[in-house]
Amino acid sequence: MKELLIIRSVSFQQLDKNLAAIAKAYPDHRISILTHEHGVMLAQKYRQVNDIYVYPYKEGFKLKNKVPVLKDKTFDVVIVPVTNITGAGFFNVLLFSLGLKASKRVLCNVRSEFKEVRRFSVLCLGLKNLAISVLSSVSTAVLAVFVIPFLPFKLRNLEKKGEL
Amino acid sequence: MNTPLVSIVSICWNRKTDIMESLKRIREIDYPNLEIIVVDNASTDGTPEMIAAEFPDVRLIKMYKNIGIEAYNIGFHNARGEYIVVLDDDSFPQRDAIRRMVDKFERDPQLGVVAFDVRNFYDYDDVKNDAFEGTGQALGETAATAENYLLAFNGAGAGVRRDLLEEVGFYPDEFFLYWNEQDTAFRILDRGYTIKFFADVVSYHKYSPTNRSSWRAPFYYTRNAFWLIWKNYPLEMAIPLTVSLIRECFYFSMEQKTMIYLKAMVNAFVYMGCLKGKRKPVSMEIAKNLRIPFNVSFTFYR
Repeated sequence: MKELLIIRSVSFQQLDKNLAAIAKAYPDHRISILTHEHGVMLAQKYRQVNDIYVYPYKEGFKLKNKVPVLKDKTFDVVIVPVTNITGAGFFNVLLFSLGLKASKRVLCNVRSEFKEVRRFSVLCLGLKNLAISVLSSVSTAVLAVFVIPFLPFKLRNLEKKGEL
Repeated sequence: MNTPLVSIVSICWNRKTDIMESLKRIREIDYPNLEIIVVDNASTDGTPEMIAAEFPDVRLIKMYKNIGIEAYNIGFHNARGEYIVVLDDDSFPQRDAIRRMVDKFERDPQLGVVAFDVRNFYDYDDVKNDAFEGTGQALGETAATAENYLLAFNGAGAGVRRDLLEEVGFYPDEFFLYWNEQDTAFRILDRGYTIKFFADVVSYHKYSPTNRSSWRAPFYYTRNAFWLIWKNYPLEMAIPLTVSLIRECFYFSMEQKTMIYLKAMVNAFVYMGCLKGKRKPVSMEIAKNLRIPFNVSFTFYR
């Protein structure tokens, strides 16, 4: 059997929908899920899922966050489910997937449409996003000059009186 | 087992077919002491007339305009049950869910919220393992928790103690839509109560994000993320989180070629006065440990 890993980057409600489509599209694959700790009990309810791996962090999926239990695992396919059509807003998960040993990385959108994403494409996207990241940091720095000095006073002003 | 009164509170707005199906399913729930309250947000598609005609046992409360999630507060205020179950107009609890929820509340007085395992109405039964659920009895330890962080709950299925909900002041009406559960979660946790998901307490939801109009989810999620931070986080976390969120608004506006996040950010600052008297920072422990995935705001647009 080939090995398939789903990175649980969406709600279980969406995964319920995607999982049926994934099992149909990859019938000769053994399915595993990588999920945050709180998702383990909920992922166990899937009939088609064999192994559940824990992503041992509170925050979202990031390249720097390694998963020790997956260090020596190799997958034929890694699926990245996304909550929209294009995958916008999920670059961090794609980048994280590069840290896993996989022959193929596939985006699965909200309509359960599949699209293979090659390592080179992710890296190109990364370069583009790096430029955006620099621009957004500069824009934030400029705005912060005007906003941040006043924010503490504004927030204190919002406080509920008599309870602090 | 005790069967205290449980109030199911739902709101609706122009989704006649969905609320009708939900109410039919709610009728099938295996629990003897239920009160059902539906607050209609001035639907114009005949929803209130349908409810009045076909579900005379439902307490229907009609609003004169769409007031968003504030309608829940009207429902909560009218609820008489010891426990309140919060639902969306297109969600309903599994047949055994209420009984199991009550059992969990009765066993643990510090349990503030039973967060239902909200599943996809269309697909869940096809992919689930029947052996996990089917007995009709509460299973052993089924809490889906994490050792190092806390969780909020999902408004498409959650049970809460009515007196606790009153104490924390219901949902934040200024939010209108989205992040309201997280805001309430901050205040519940800050009172020393717990919030737990349970794998054997299931709610079905007609999950259809493609039905969301294009601007509402990204706009309200983004604006309310600022307000969530400003209302609940201690100053030393609120400032860096605000800076980080501003940066993400710029970043995702450029990435997705949209102004919606910047509009939401400006709106958050312009109308921050509506939070006057509502900021109450929670303890540092809760602020650091409650898992709030702010990046969700930037995943609905395209």
